Amino acid sequence: MRAATPSTPARRGTLHAGAWALWLLAAASALAVTRNPIYLALVLAWVAVVWQAAKAVPGLMDAERAVPLSPLRFGLFVVVVSAIFNGLMVHIGDIVLLRLPESWPLIGGAITLEALVYGALNGLVLTGLYAAFLLVNQVMPIREMVRLAPRAYYAVAIVISIAVAFVPTTLRQYRQIREAQAVRGRRVQGLRSWLPLALPLLTGGIERALQLAEAMTARGFAGTSTPGHDGWTQAGLVAGLALAAGGLLLRLVWGAGTLGLIVAVAGAVWVAGRRHPQTVYRPAPWRAQEWLVAAGAAWTAAFFLLPLPGLERSSLFFYPYPRLTLPGFSLWIGVSTWGLLAPALLLLRQALITRDA
Amino acid sequence: MVDLAAAMRQRSLSLVIYALTTLLGVAAFLYPFWLPAAAQASGSGMAHAADAPFMVSVLVGLCFAVLLLEVQGQGMSAKVVALLGILVAMNATLRFVEAAIPGPGGFSPIFLLIVLGGYVFGARFGFLLGALTLFVSSILTGGMGPWLPYQMFTAGWTGMAAPLCRPLVRGLRAEGKAGEVVVLAAYGGLWGLIFGVVINIWFWPFVSGPAGQYWEPGMSALEGLRRYAVFYVISSLAWDAMRAAGNVALIGVMGLPMLRILRRFRDRFTFEYTPAPAHAAPGAASAPAIAAGRSA
Repeated sequence: MRAATPSTPARRGTLHAGAWALWLLAAASALAVTRNPIYLALVLAWVAVVWQAAKAVPGLMDAERAVPLSPLRFGLFVVVVSAIFNGLMVHIGDIVLLRLPESWPLIGGAITLEALVYGALNGLVLTGLYAAFLLVNQVMPIREMVRLAPRAYYAVAIVISIAVAFVPTTLRQYRQIREAQAVRGRRVQGLRSWLPLALPLLTGGIERALQLAEAMTARGFAGTSTPGHDGWTQAGLVAGLALAAGGLLLRLVWGAGTLGLIVAVAGAVWVAGRRHPQTVYRPAPWRAQEWLVAAGAAWTAAFFLLPLPGLERSSLFFYPYPRLTLPGFSLWIGVSTWGLLAPALLLLRQALITRDA
Repeated sequence: MVDLAAAMRQRSLSLVIYALTTLLGVAAFLYPFWLPAAAQASGSGMAHAADAPFMVSVLVGLCFAVLLLEVQGQGMSAKVVALLGILVAMNATLRFVEAAIPGPGGFSPIFLLIVLGGYVFGARFGFLLGALTLFVSSILTGGMGPWLPYQMFTAGWTGMAAPLCRPLVRGLRAEGKAGEVVVLAAYGGLWGLIFGVVINIWFWPFVSGPAGQYWEPGMSALEGLRRYAVFYVISSLAWDAMRAAGNVALIGVMGLPMLRILRRFRDRFTFEYTPAPAHAAPGAASAPAIAAGRSA
């Protein structure tokens, strides 16, 4: 399992987890915002390039942690399915391919090329999201993912660390109990026969939790419930949420309302986080390469998300309806997707270094 | 001494936060249905329809962040942290095994502990157990994606609402009897279905596309709901029925003995050390008094 992987020399030069998170955020928001096939193809291509670069670095992509479903297969499936579904459900558009009888509920009517194309584009977006998330899952060790948690979520981060650490133990305990029951001649048939396995597992697990709690208390972790964050944080949260709710109701979500909520949450998390000073045993440095990735991500995200002056953003919102047209293209937005390539450069450099070493 | 007024104020603020995040979450989950109608009424451009899924994902993520902060911010003792960690580990292991040997349809064994844990240890605990189970297992199986906040939210709600069964059980006078398990099994079955309905909504705007809802004049929220219902019945009802049936069967078989174990440990977990006063007799000072409580 990943948690047990020691930090190999190949890992030492790797990117800071925060840089990966920023890259992921930029890629995901670019994908989510546009339906223009040209931009989608560009972003997908760059994600694929970064994927190949990560594969070139020995020891970075764990073979142990199996890929649930390769992005290529996922993409083929999703693109086809969503194209067919959209084609069957949406009967608008000028280029009619065939007509189903009108009497059929929902799917009856004209099947148009426009609807098929739009469905396929939605499938492409999903494929891109899947590939980008899967890539970051593969290259980022769990320890560093947990470290990304803001300080305010200190307690939750501890729970997650405990859980990740105890999964192998739980598996081992399960095997021991199963062996013990097998020795006693118990066979597993039907749901009820799982009881003699499940109950000792639960009891044993909770016993271990008690021991762990005692050990934590002995090492100075708050043994009793301490009062949580102060009233100001809470009041700030309520104010921010009320702002967001109002924004939603007033249809301002797509502007000031969401911004207000982002500010309110960030503030509250920061205020709450100040209460938990943190020390780090093995600091992850933020070097020039992390700045490069962050700058690339910001560059891409800015062109896709912000109404920059002088930028023609209408090409982002490509719609095939009512008649399929060629998508527009803005050179600036196209060039801005190059920002997503920054990790590939660094990974390739790292691959060369490790090969020489 | 605990300042009672401050505690009351904090409690009511917490309730407001729960209510608001739930409200916002529901509104965000349901946006594919009300947004087209609202957009048509206000006549705003299609630019909004295009980045709506993105903004709503951001909103769901933020709501989740707030709720998580509130739930854990009330102070977690070492015992709660340890118990949560271990139960999440057990659930994540189950999901890990399930990823290797898939059960029938949407069947997932994780809801057993989420429902029982929330029922016995309270709404906060249930929420964290549900949400973190999904998080940790997604780390382990590499299933992390933009759908994760939705899954965590929904699984969290499953555990959070479980204590709502308590008044019903009390009303039936069925505590520790078969009736209690029947209520919980029904609850588990219901949430097996709700889980599927809610998770599918994440997928829905991608399948139908904003254009599918937006470009038909006069299309109402009701029509959107009708389409979603058809989509749901065709694509996932059978799948989710497996999950619901699995929940009912698991809780039905394992419910009573597991409840007994969890209750016994709850009583062992909720004791608190109260240090004896320094000026007391030397014999008393060396042995801290133990007060048993059931405040969980």
